[in-house]
Amino acid sequence: MNAEFKVVWKPRPQIEGSAKVSGRAEYTHDMTLPGMAFAAVLRSPHAHARIRSVDLTRARAMPGVVAAVSGREFPDLKYVNAGPAFADRYAMARERVRFVGEEVAALAADSLAEALAALAAIDVAYDVLPAALDVPAALAADAPEIHQKPDLPRNVAQTSVATFGPVDEGFAAAAHILDDTFEHGAVAPVCLETNGVLADFDAASGDLTLWAPSQAPFFVRKEIAHVLELALENVHVRSVVIGGGFGGKSQAPEPIAIAALLAMKAGRPVRLLLNRQEEFLSGKSDHGKKMRVRTAVAADGTILARHTEFWVDNGAYTHMGPAYISAVRQRTCNLYRVRAAGFDGKLVHTNKVSGGSYRGMGAPQIIWAIESQIDEIAERLGRDRLEYRIAIANRPGDETPMGWKIGTCALAECLEEAGRRIGWDEKKHAMPPGRGIGFAAMINPSVGVLYAEGNFACVSIDLQSDGRLRVGTQSADCGTSQNTVMGQLVAEELGVAPELIDVIHMDTDETPPDLGSAASRVTFVSGAAAIKTAQSFRVELEARLARHWDVPAEDISFADGVAGYRDDNERRLSLVEIADLEGPFRVEDRHDIDLPRPDPATGYGHYAATYGFGAQAVEVEVDPTTGHVQVLKVVVVQDVGRVINPLALEGQMHGGIVQGIGMALREELVFDHGAPVNASLITYKAPRIQETPEIETVFIETNDPTGPYGAKVGGEHSINPTPAAVANAVAHATGTRFNRLPITAGDILQVRPRRKPLALEPWKRPYNLEVATARALYPKVLFPGLRRLGARLGRTRTPKPTCAYVRPSDLADALRELAIPGRHAKPIAGGTDLQVGIRQGVYEPDVVVDIADLSELHGISIGEDVVRIGGAVTLSEIVERDDIRARHPMLSEGLAKIATRQIRNVATIAGDLSQEKRCWFFRSGAQCYKAGGVTCPCYAVLGDNRHHAIMGAGRCAAPCVADAAPILTALDATVVVAGTDRLRRIGLEDFYAWSGETVVKPTEIIVGIEIPNSLGETRQTYEKAADWDGDFANASVAARLILRNGRVTSARISLGAVAPLPIRAKQTEAALLHGDSSAAALRSAAELTVRGALPLSGNAYKAELLVNLTQRAIEKCLDETPSPE
Amino acid sequence: MTPLATILRDSLGLRGTKIGCGNGECGACTVIVDGRAICSCLAPLGRMPGRSIETVESLGGPDDLHPLQRKLVERGAFQCGFCTPGVVMSLIALLRERPDPSDEEVRCALQGNLCRCSGYVKLLEAVREIAREGSHER
Ligand code: FES
Ligand code: FES
Repeated sequence: MNAEFKVVWKPRPQIEGSAKVSGRAEYTHDMTLPGMAFAAVLRSPHAHARIRSVDLTRARAMPGVVAAVSGREFPDLKYVNAGPAFADRYAMARERVRFVGEEVAALAADSLAEALAALAAIDVAYDVLPAALDVPAALAADAPEIHQKPDLPRNVAQTSVATFGPVDEGFAAAAHILDDTFEHGAVAPVCLETNGVLADFDAASGDLTLWAPSQAPFFVRKEIAHVLELALENVHVRSVVIGGGFGGKSQAPEPIAIAALLAMKAGRPVRLLLNRQEEFLSGKSDHGKKMRVRTAVAADGTILARHTEFWVDNGAYTHMGPAYISAVRQRTCNLYRVRAAGFDGKLVHTNKVSGGSYRGMGAPQIIWAIESQIDEIAERLGRDRLEYRIAIANRPGDETPMGWKIGTCALAECLEEAGRRIGWDEKKHAMPPGRGIGFAAMINPSVGVLYAEGNFACVSIDLQSDGRLRVGTQSADCGTSQNTVMGQLVAEELGVAPELIDVIHMDTDETPPDLGSAASRVTFVSGAAAIKTAQSFRVELEARLARHWDVPAEDISFADGVAGYRDDNERRLSLVEIADLEGPFRVEDRHDIDLPRPDPATGYGHYAATYGFGAQAVEVEVDPTTGHVQVLKVVVVQDVGRVINPLALEGQMHGGIVQGIGMALREELVFDHGAPVNASLITYKAPRIQETPEIETVFIETNDPTGPYGAKVGGEHSINPTPAAVANAVAHATGTRFNRLPITAGDILQVRPRRKPLALEPWKRPYNLEVATARALYPKVLFPGLRRLGARLGRTRTPKPTCAYVRPSDLADALRELAIPGRHAKPIAGGTDLQVGIRQGVYEPDVVVDIADLSELHGISIGEDVVRIGGAVTLSEIVERDDIRARHPMLSEGLAKIATRQIRNVATIAGDLSQEKRCWFFRSGAQCYKAGGVTCPCYAVLGDNRHHAIMGAGRCAAPCVADAAPILTALDATVVVAGTDRLRRIGLEDFYAWSGETVVKPTEIIVGIEIPNSLGETRQTYEKAADWDGDFANASVAARLILRNGRVTSARISLGAVAPLPIRAKQTEAALLHGDSSAAALRSAAELTVRGALPLSGNAYKAELLVNLTQRAIEKCLDETPSPE
Repeated sequence: MTPLATILRDSLGLRGTKIGCGNGECGACTVIVDGRAICSCLAPLGRMPGRSIETVESLGGPDDLHPLQRKLVERGAFQCGFCTPGVVMSLIALLRERPDPSDEEVRCALQGNLCRCSGYVKLLEAVREIAREGSHER
């Protein structure tokens, strides 16, 4: 089929590939200019507050500062974003802040360190206002006003109500009515490259030049010219390599205008790069939403009507909300045959980070809701879920209730193929326990009309002086290979080798207008423009040669990079020769797609040039012990027209699917008082390579007459059905339908059918009575009271921008350094916790003392009675030692489960034991009990406490998550600690004072660990459950049993991540000595681990998890071969 | 306390080492120090004297790619490329130790390299291929 083409429909590696893989590609982070200053932004700590004043006087006087601005310095103008009716955001906050992380002031200095230090000298006075942190709160009668539109209820940005067809009749005639509500939180794009910008202003010419990772230079230019009152022609966006987009770099990211104004004020180039936390705090996320889907179904399965009510969390300002609303509507009634459809949608402001666009624009989640219900309908009808989908799939020639006219469409074929490839017919009646298969499908308009500018694209082709061609497009390639595709299209059209073609993107001076990469439009619209421009280029080239040779243009041909006149061998010129002859020249052309616009009031009407379809089948395995879902296989079958570059498109499929798995099972921003508490790449759980399933990609190529070389759009096809297919597979595996995304392991554990409810018997511990009483008083009395009190009396943390570093030569020297009075010194070895903690304000040393290379802290010795490991021995060194693995397998296995290879290569055993607590409130700067002192509350009681302790928690609920702690406790190990005058040995059980707090004094250093050998047949197992492989544990169990003649004669079981300290499960240990090793007896013994537990509101799953892990650990010990201890 | 990454990027102009988080969470800054892959964003500079440090620049330029790098390009194993120098360094460290790694070993070595674009599938394929061909060293 591909024989007729040379370059398109063929895999082709990225044209930027070599530059990227060799580290030579220049991203914005890598750009510098002479005299460049470094910017930093002061952000609101409040979700909602009036700004009484911003005083920059002190900051301006700080060393190195060259410019400082607040909202007042900007023109009194708002971003246009979704259109003038929705313009609600200034370039920087004035008068009011509406979310935690909103930009309040910014400054530029000679160095980044100086800029960061000067932030502390900006004086801002706030009056804190009541905040509406979720949609119900924002719609409540007494809700604080975030925005008020004249014609809409308070905090409502947009409503979308419409009915197409006889909805009420449908419900009246239905044999079955389904009515389900679904909900999901906000996910984040998480580009590996954070947002940033380098801005340069030339005061003489008034020209502002910007280097920034932007999906759409068009918008950047338009918005920046507007908010800074510059002429459009004076704003220049230059070309950079972009480190991922996914919607996160659409429109005009806020750092750009800020850096631009600073550059104008400073008279110097200014670079502003967001750090990862800022990216989460202020980079726009996806929109959370709630959807109520009601569907009327006839007895024969016909869907008579569907009504969808939805509430979209818009966050503080409107960016892409209206487009999001429209994308959601489209997915309710256009995929499968539906007779009539109604919607009632609301876009609601809350005091949280603004929603932006993220791959799929809300489609993945509404498809999840609809497809979940399709499964339920099939169930009601007693039909096979795949067969039913195929029966109701749209077919070519269909017209949907919204007026979409379906052209080429291979949806039914996609579904059939997905079913075949996952083996549905063979597997469905023989699923092993814990396995499940799910299906979902999607429709995507091949370029919809959101902006008038979206319907055309311009492309340029330059013949350069060296004879190479340069294709220019303003659309930005964020890594999707669209530059490569553009080059392929031109190469094909002109018959020029693709190696002779360069592509420049983004540059507003060098390339003609284009809306940019969004809504998967580039191949389809800009690609068509590339073909057209290539044709014009040929015409121009032939005309020029015709003039030159004085022959008719019709007689000139241009093929394989050579132009010639008839078969005249004298008159044949290569591109290099033509460039010599004619000099460089340029051709520009444009492609318009002219579509009937849907009715602006109702949204009814044909919407796109064509539609793409796809289906996915997913097989999962659910671990009954942990609730962990492993996606085993994804089959993705796509009708995307003809595939221009299969290599690139497969990559798009893989990336989108893995993001979709994240959306289904892990990813969500967790907010507390409006601030994301998981603003890090550990706690925001984007999928890592261990979660990647096998993916089989199939393209059913319909040759679409509307697109370039038969292509339709493809970029977002991958992610759209994935969460739905995964969720349906989980429902199939577990027998339970979860109506909230992400579906976590904890959710699954709590509904899994189990023997009987666990007996926690918290009241047997009198201490729990006190704790329970305090918790009961938290919502109304204790939390608000302590929060107020803490604000006045509590200690505040100020992260130190710098601290001194010393590197002593031996242990005695190091101890002397630690003992110097009048300063706070901390030893540093691996430093993987300390350095991060210093930035978070968790540690506040004046000096760090590097002990990593001290010979006294190194070495491993395996003795007759004891194994000794130096305190600064790295986790990798221990894991790699076969003699340790032979002696203490659980130590090797357990340490191998800590973090990642890079971290284990430097992190030390002593460091793992003594790392600070991981509580995400504490780590994200909350003024909590542990950070601020006794006058402050514990945020975990009322906040999201899924990771916190279920037992032993008092005023602080942070658990001990050091993996080495339960392991070494179970191994009865001793920590050897050196002070200036003596060596101490501390048993692991006496080592901790609280979570992350040890009895080691600030003047002491852990020199090593000693693990005694025990006699007899020893069995060891470490079981850990974490959200991702390497993440901190949600629960862990270290078990060491000694057997004699098959009977347990000694047991040490230690539990991690469930209590502030690693605790011994003494009741379980005792029970094991009774010798009954029946499954029931082991289960009962395991259940004793949670006696006396008092879970918090959101972590009861940990009790179930702990019991399951304990049971598994014991079972493994009992049927394992002994280790030769 | 300056991390190695800052000196590489800002003082030595070796900007192939990327910063995706600065906190040891993403692996974009991975370099090889004394044979081991580590996060340069968390490597105290004061500890570096006397050690061997390899960055992506030590492998060769765009016209002189290491066979592993060439394979990653050919197989479309990355998209935006921001994670890629770090991925390359993790893989180089792995392949030196284990020229023919199992899938599990590859996954284990790359668990610390977050890639948002690729879904990791082609990355695994590329490494499988290079191990099969035994062409991981030039
Ligand atoms: S930048 Fe070093 S791990 Fe992310
Ligand atoms: S290729 Fe973009 S993050 Fe890996």
